[in-house]
Amino acid sequence: MLVIKDLHAKVGDRKVLDGLNLEVPAGEVHAIMGPNGSGKSTLAYTLAGRPGYEVTAGSVSYQGRDLLALAPEERAQAGLFLGFQYPVEIPGVNNVYLLKAALNAARKHRGEAEVDAFEFLTLVREKMKVMQMDEAFLSRGVNEGFSGGEKKRNEILQMLVLEPSLALLDETDSGLDIDALKVVANGVNTLRSPTRAIVLVTHYQRLLDYIQPDRVHVLARGRIIRSGGPELARELEARGYDWVLNEAA
Amino acid sequence: MSAMPIVLPSNRDENWRYANLRGLARARFEPAPAPEATQLGDIAGRLPAALPGYARLVLVDGHHVAALSTALPDVNITHDVDAPEKSGADQRFANLNRRFRQGTCRIAVPAQAALALEVLCVATASSHPALDITLGDGAKLQLIERQLSARGDDSTLVNLHLAARVGEHAQFELARIGHHGAKAQALDTLELQLDVGASMKLVQVIEGALASRSTAFVEHVGREASLEWYVAALGEGTQHHDAFVHVTHAAPDARTLQCFRGIATGRSRVAFNGHMRVEAAALGTQTDQSLKCLLAGAEAEADVRPQLEIYTDAVKASHGATVGKLDADMLFYLLSRSIPPATAESLLKWAFVSDVLAKLPSPELRSQVAAALERQLPGAATRAWS
Repeated sequence: MLVIKDLHAKVGDRKVLDGLNLEVPAGEVHAIMGPNGSGKSTLAYTLAGRPGYEVTAGSVSYQGRDLLALAPEERAQAGLFLGFQYPVEIPGVNNVYLLKAALNAARKHRGEAEVDAFEFLTLVREKMKVMQMDEAFLSRGVNEGFSGGEKKRNEILQMLVLEPSLALLDETDSGLDIDALKVVANGVNTLRSPTRAIVLVTHYQRLLDYIQPDRVHVLARGRIIRSGGPELARELEARGYDWVLNEAA
Repeated sequence: MSAMPIVLPSNRDENWRYANLRGLARARFEPAPAPEATQLGDIAGRLPAALPGYARLVLVDGHHVAALSTALPDVNITHDVDAPEKSGADQRFANLNRRFRQGTCRIAVPAQAALALEVLCVATASSHPALDITLGDGAKLQLIERQLSARGDDSTLVNLHLAARVGEHAQFELARIGHHGAKAQALDTLELQLDVGASMKLVQVIEGALASRSTAFVEHVGREASLEWYVAALGEGTQHHDAFVHVTHAAPDARTLQCFRGIATGRSRVAFNGHMRVEAAALGTQTDQSLKCLLAGAEAEADVRPQLEIYTDAVKASHGATVGKLDADMLFYLLSRSIPPATAESLLKWAFVSDVLAKLPSPELRSQVAAALERQLPGAATRAWS
């Protein structure tokens, strides 16, 4: 699904990713953990094609395609979804419009017909139930006035509607209370399938109590310095990052 | 009709600094004659669909056309000859209107009565529509004033004058929409007085003309009057849209809210000059100005100018003015959701002016305005409200 080789990237003059290698097969959930400033969000933004995040070397293959050759919207249309750590508010553009436009753009890219209003609302209502969201959210501006937890639920709702092949969730657990965390985790789990891959960027083990990862990676100083199974996350929770940083030094 | 020389304001006049007056030096101000009966069928075919619940008044080149209008007891058409002119640069276009108007539509809504009216000002050449409005105490008027060029590429000139006196506790809602041709010049002067407890809400959408200038004078003459003033201006190409609004608070405890949203694309220029004057007697005045412009072209220009002139201490006055570009984070968010760049930019522009557009009074009008904006905001305008 996703193969990253020797990826170097910078933001402005600051070199952030420094020879990162990662492979995420279809059907798996990978967690990327690491200390602050290690490059986790930069990796997510770089893969999603955010302007200002410049790849200086390396390659990224997504479903056999050169991901870095695609514009941001083309990456999304090809099935890559980025769940933002800080979802932006867009007053004046309502949620239902964004969801429908996003879904139809992706369907058009796949050569499928646009969904009609009835089909769309049926689909959205079903996904909103999963996320325990009130339908009133649909008519509000995108993330406008949402609490931190509501924004994260809205990100996962979008993901469920769009059904991406590869989901990159950047600190989706931050700012969530325990009940919201369970709802968000449940949403993510409903998307798990043999044909999809999910990459969770997180600081904490607690998200992984609800979303069982297949692999856990430690990202530090712009590269993956250790990989392991779910037990690695528990060890990091217990011991912190110093030991793994020291071992990698 | 007077043969006096035509004196126009110039950019040296402080309140006209941002106006595009270049094309007016060669303009013909003399009004077109009344339309022939044989033209009316063609004109009728160009009018927008009727709005449910609204009576309709049609002026062609400033001439009232009864055949296309609803007969209303509250509307009288009078023929004013040489209405008295006023002094000052800000009155020059109003004076031209007074000189050249082909009649004045007098709309008088009796006390406690209600009227919903759409006034369509159609231009085929030069026209000087004139509306004189009186709302009795407790009356309610919902007025939609629309200006249309009869042909899309016409270099029409519209110079409208609208005067209104809003009686005690009366409510006046005024929506103003321009559907001008690409070469049109659109000028207007509004003079409004709000009596005790009166409320007025204006929503204006400016787009389409080569150059437009809107000049307004509003006076809170009665205590506890309320004014809301929402304007959206969308410039493209080499268009130039300029608005000047002077609000005088002459009585206590009145409120004014002003919201301007301008988008300048290409080489266009949008400008808004909002001048609030609070006189010594106007204790307890509250004013709020939110003036924002979006620059969406390398050679585009925006000028926003909030001005406060206050002669009393007991006032709450706030103002904000910003000029910026499309928000990069919002744009990336939409791109990351598969939205193509052109549509994403349109959506964000739509969102920028939506504060104003959402205030338009009827769903049908909002749909018509959205359709008219589709050319400027492809993919966004008609779908955002669908």
